[in-house]
Amino acid sequence: MSVVTKAFLRYLRRRRSLSLLQLLGIACGVAAAVGMALSARASLASFETAVEFIGGRATHSLERPAGPLAETVLSRIIADPAVLAFSPVIDRRILLATGETVRLLGIDPLLDRAVRPQLAHPGTPAASPAPERFAFLLEENTVLVDEQLAAQSRLHSGGFLETSRGRMRIVGTFPNASGEPLILMDISHSQRLFELGGMIDRVDLIVDDEAGFLARWKSGFRIQSGQQRRATLRDMLGAFRLNLQALSLLALFVGVFLVYNTAMFTVVSRMKDAGILRSLGAGRREIVAAFLSEILLFGACGGILGGLAGFLLSRFLSGLVAGTISNLYFFLRPAALEWDWSVLLVSVGLGCGASILGGIFPLVELVRADPVQAIRGRTAVRGAHGRAARAALAGAGVLAVSAALFWLARIHVYFGFAGSFALLIGVSLTTGLALVFCHPPLKRLLAFLAGLPGKVAAGNIRRNLGRSAVAVAAFMVAISMSIGLSSMIGSFRQSLIWWMGTQLRADLFVGKVGGAEVPESFYREMQTIPGLAGFDRYRNVQALYRGTTITLCAVDAAVLQKFTNFGWLAGGNENWEPVKNGTVIVSESFSRRFRLRAGDTVTLDGVDGPATLTITAIYYDYTSEHGVVMMDRSTYLRVFNDRTITTLGVFIDPGNPQRQALLEEVSERAIRRGLPVFTRDQLRGDILAVFDSTFAVTRSMQVLSIVVAFFGIAGALMTLFIERQREFGIYRALGFSSRQVAAMTLLEGLGMGMVSFLMSIGVGTALAWVLIRVINLRSFNWTIFFHPAWEPYAVAFAIAVLASLGAAAYPIWKVYKTYPQMQIREE
Amino acid sequence: MKKVSLCGYCLAACFLLLAAAPASAQWKQAAGPYPWKFPRDHGSHPAYRTEWWYFTGNLSANAGARYGYQLTFFRQGIRYKPPAPAGPWDIRDVYLGHFAVSDIAGKTFRYAERISRTGPGLAGAGEENLDVRLLDWTARMQSGTIALQARDKGMALDLTLLPRKPLVFHGRNGLSRKGPQEGQASYYTSFTHLETTGFLATPANGRVAVSGRSWFDHEFGSNQLAAGQTGWDWFSLALSDGREVMLYFLRRSDGSVEPASAGTLVEPDGKTRHLSRAEITVTALEHWKSPASNGRYPSRWAVRIPAAGIDLTIAASLADQELITKGSTGVTYWEGAVAGRGTSGNRSVTCEGYAELTGYAGSLGGLF
Repeated sequence: MSVVTKAFLRYLRRRRSLSLLQLLGIACGVAAAVGMALSARASLASFETAVEFIGGRATHSLERPAGPLAETVLSRIIADPAVLAFSPVIDRRILLATGETVRLLGIDPLLDRAVRPQLAHPGTPAASPAPERFAFLLEENTVLVDEQLAAQSRLHSGGFLETSRGRMRIVGTFPNASGEPLILMDISHSQRLFELGGMIDRVDLIVDDEAGFLARWKSGFRIQSGQQRRATLRDMLGAFRLNLQALSLLALFVGVFLVYNTAMFTVVSRMKDAGILRSLGAGRREIVAAFLSEILLFGACGGILGGLAGFLLSRFLSGLVAGTISNLYFFLRPAALEWDWSVLLVSVGLGCGASILGGIFPLVELVRADPVQAIRGRTAVRGAHGRAARAALAGAGVLAVSAALFWLARIHVYFGFAGSFALLIGVSLTTGLALVFCHPPLKRLLAFLAGLPGKVAAGNIRRNLGRSAVAVAAFMVAISMSIGLSSMIGSFRQSLIWWMGTQLRADLFVGKVGGAEVPESFYREMQTIPGLAGFDRYRNVQALYRGTTITLCAVDAAVLQKFTNFGWLAGGNENWEPVKNGTVIVSESFSRRFRLRAGDTVTLDGVDGPATLTITAIYYDYTSEHGVVMMDRSTYLRVFNDRTITTLGVFIDPGNPQRQALLEEVSERAIRRGLPVFTRDQLRGDILAVFDSTFAVTRSMQVLSIVVAFFGIAGALMTLFIERQREFGIYRALGFSSRQVAAMTLLEGLGMGMVSFLMSIGVGTALAWVLIRVINLRSFNWTIFFHPAWEPYAVAFAIAVLASLGAAAYPIWKVYKTYPQMQIREE
Repeated sequence: MKKVSLCGYCLAACFLLLAAAPASAQWKQAAGPYPWKFPRDHGSHPAYRTEWWYFTGNLSANAGARYGYQLTFFRQGIRYKPPAPAGPWDIRDVYLGHFAVSDIAGKTFRYAERISRTGPGLAGAGEENLDVRLLDWTARMQSGTIALQARDKGMALDLTLLPRKPLVFHGRNGLSRKGPQEGQASYYTSFTHLETTGFLATPANGRVAVSGRSWFDHEFGSNQLAAGQTGWDWFSLALSDGREVMLYFLRRSDGSVEPASAGTLVEPDGKTRHLSRAEITVTALEHWKSPASNGRYPSRWAVRIPAAGIDLTIAASLADQELITKGSTGVTYWEGAVAGRGTSGNRSVTCEGYAELTGYAGSLGGLF
C-alpha cells in the first residue's frame, strides 16, 4: 500500500465522527433500496408458494363462470377420458368467534389424496383413539385446523372451534405450507354447513389431454390451468406490483443520491490534503488511487451495513406489503425471506457503485486542479456560479424530457414513473441556481433572525454552492416525495369518502364481501318484517373477462335507483332504467382498461355459453382496479344462475318512526344466524381503515426518505464545518462568541432546510399531480379528485426545520466542545 | 399436539375401522343356508359388511404374448345407517379397487388402486345384478355376459367375459367357512371358466387384442378372519384337462393352518366337489423376497390332491406381482399369475391360474 493511501486511511481514524456519519449515510441509502426490493420479492414469492401449495398437483380447475356448480357434473368428469384424477372442493370462508375470517376447504379426502398429496401427512396417529380417526369423515362439524392457526389461537385436537356457524370439534391438526390459515372439513358436512345441498364450488383436476378436455368443456364452464390461475392472480397484483417496484426504485434513487452526496463530500473535504500531498511530490495517480481506496472502503463497509439493515427492514416491510395484498386482493401471509449472501454482494456493489459515481466528478476536478489552488481548499468555489447555471440548463433539458415522458405515459405507466424520476433529477440540477437566486432574501431573513452570524451563514451557503446545492437537492427530493405522497393519499381518501357517500347508503349491511355468504332464507325472513323499505341482494363475484379477473356485481337496480346516488360519468339515476331491463353499467376502471364506452357491449361467459350485454352507463368506483360490471339481479340469474347473496343491504325510510326498532330487529336476527352486521358508518369506517392500512408501505417509504435526507443534510453540514474549523478561529478572533459561531452553524442548516422546503412546495405539488393524474390513472384506471390540503405542506415544513436543526446539532456540539483552544492553536 | 393426516383417515376409514370398532350388531352374519337367486345375487348385499367382486385371468395377445390381469372391487360397510338427514356424500359404504396387469414376456407388473365413497355417482353396486363401479372402473353383467372396463396409469382393460361353466357354490351351498365360530364365514360363488376376449393396454405395448380365460369370485359376509389368523394363500387353477381347482389356506400365528381351510374341485362338466383341509397338501418349494416390503413370499409350490389324482408343480409367472396398497386397503399382498404342470387323473396336464398370498408383509389378523 502506498504511503499516500496509508495517510488517507489514517485520516479516517482521526475524523472518526465524520467517517461514521459518511458510513451511516451510505448504509442508510443502501438499506432503503435493498429493504424495499427484498420485501417486494418476499411477498410475491410467498404468494407463489401459497398458490402452488393449495393447488397441489392439479393441472386444471373447473368451475362455473360465477357461483357454485351442481355436483352431478362429477359423473361427466368421471367419464371424461382425459381426467386422471379429480377432487370436488367447497371453498368458502368462515367467521371465527375471534373475529378472524378463515378459509374453509370442504373436500373428500379419499378423492383429494391424488390431487393434494401434500395435505396428507405420512404416518397415522398411532396414539390417538381409533374413533377420532373416523370422526372427520363420519361426524358432523368436525374439522382439521392447520398447525399455525392452532398454535396462534391456542387450539388443540379434541378442543372446539367457535364459529359463526356453530361449534366445530377439532379432530386434528395438519401442516400447512401455504401461509394462509386453513380449516379442512369433509365435503358432506361442509355442504350442509353452507346450505349448499347438491352444489360444490369447483373441481380440481389432473388432466393429461388438455386440448381434448377443453374442447369438451368449453361451454358454460370456466376451466383454468394451474398456470393460468397463477397468472390470473399475478395479473391481479399487476398494478400493485408495479407500484411496489416504483417505490423500490424511488428508494434506490434516494439511496444512491445519498451515497453520491456522501462520496462527494469525502473527496471535496480532502482537496486541501490532496494539494499538500501533491506539492510534497505525490503523483496524481497515487492521489487518485488513495481516494478510490477510501471511497471503495466506505462503499463496501456501508454496503455491508446497509445490506444487513435492509434485510432486517424487509422483514418489517414485507409484513406491511402482505397485509395490503390481503386487504385488497387475496390472503397472503409473508414468508420470512431466507438470508442470502447475494444480498451482501448486491449491497456492496450498490454502495461502491454509487460512491464511485459520487466521487468521480470531484476526482476529475482534483486531478485537473493546480496543487497550490488545492492547498487553499475550495477549488469548487471558483466558477461555481457558472457551473450552477450550466447545471440548471441541463436541468431544464431534463425537465423537458420529463414532460415528454408524462405525455408518453398514455402508452405505458412505466413512462410515467420514468417521468417522475426525470422531474426530480431535473429540479435537483437547478438547485444551485435556486440557491443563488435565494441568496438575497435568505441573507435578509437570516440577518433578521441572528444579525451578523445570520448574514455570514447565508454567505457560507452560497460560497460553498458545490456542496450545499447537492445537500439541498437531496433534502428537497425527500420532502417533495413526502408532500407528493401525502397529497395523493389525502386526495384519494377524500375521493373514497365521496364515493362511499354515493354508493353505500343502506342503513344496514348484512354479510361481508370476502366473508361468509348470506343465506337466501335470511332474505326471505327479512321480507316478512313489515316496515323495511327495500333490500339490495348484492352479489360480488370474480369472473374472467378477456383473460383478466374482473368483478361482477348483481344488485337490485330498482332499489338502488331509489336509495343511492351513484357518481355517474354522464347522466343521473335515470341510468338505472335500462339496467332493470337487462343492460349493465361498468366502473370507470373497466371502461378505461378495456376501452369500452356506453353503447358498447361486453360478452361474458354464462352457464349457457356467452352472453352479450350492452353497457348503458359508467360510474366512478374505487373497489376494483380491474373493473366492475354491475347488473340487475334478474339479469345475473339469467346469465349465471347463481342465487348466492354476498351481502344484503337493508334500507329503512328515514321518516319511519319505527326506524330504531327496525334496525335493532334486523341486527338481532342477523346475529342470531351468525351473520356479521354493519351500520352504514361502521362499514364506511372499516373501508377507511383498510384504505389507511393499504398505504402503510407508502408511509414507511416516506419516513425512510426523510431519514435518508436527514443524513444528507447532516453530512453536508459537518463537512462544511470541518473544512471551516480554521475560519471559526478567525471568527472568534474577530470577536464572535462561541454562541454566535454556533448560531451561524445552526442558521446555515436552517437556511438550507428553508430553501429545500420552498423548492419542495412546487415540486411536491407537481409530484402529487403526477401521482394522481398519471400514475394512478394509468395503473389503476381510476380518477382521483384532487383535494388540496395544507397538512402535507405543514408537515414538510416541520420536517425541514427539525431535520436541519437536528443535523446542525452535532457540529454545534463540536463548536462548544473544541472552541476556542483547537482553532487558536492552529492559528 | 397430535398430528394427523388425511392419508391416515383414508386408510383408517376402510379396513382399520373394523379393527377398532366392534362390528355393529346390525350387520347380517354369513351363517346358515342362503336363498340364492340370480342374477340378483351377483349384485350387492348391503346388509353384509364386506363384499368383493374379484376378477383374475390369464390372457394371450395375437402375437403370443401372455398377460395376467386382476380387477377387484371391494365394498366395505362403514356404518349400517348414516344419521339423518343423509346426503349423497354421507358415508355408508366405501368402495376400494385394485387393478393389476402382469406382462409376462415383458416381465413387468403394474397396479393401480382406488378408493371412494358412494357419493353422488362416484361408486356403487346394483342390487339386482352384477353392476359395480368405482369411478370409471366397471364390471357389469348383461344377458349373462360380463363386461369389464378399467383404465389407470397407462393400463387399460376392456373385456367381455362369457361363462362356459355354471356358477360354482363353494363350501356348503355357497357358505364358505373361514374359522371355527359362527359368522366366521362368507357366502362365496365363482364363475371358474369365463371365456374372455377384448382389449388390454399397457404403457409398453399399447392397446392389443387379447383372448383367454378369466375367473370371477364373489364373496360377502361380515366377519371373516378369526383372531389368531395371520393371512391366507388362495389359488385358482385351470387345468388343461378341463378341471378347475380353488384352494385356500388360512394361516395361524402359531404356524398351523386353520382347519376350516378348504377347496373346491370343478369337473369339466361343471360338477363340483368340496375339498376338505385333509384332502389337500400344498408345499412351498421356493420363496421370493420383496425388495419393496421385505415380505418373503412362496413362489413355487407342490400341490397334491390325491383323492382327485392331482399332483402339480406350479410357479409364479413373474416373481414380483406384489401390491402395496397404501392408498386404499392399506394391505400389502402378492396376487399374480401362476402356471405349472403335472398330472390330473393320471394324465399329464398343464395349468394356469392365479394365486393370492396375504399376511407375508405384515399381519392381517383381525382385519377381515
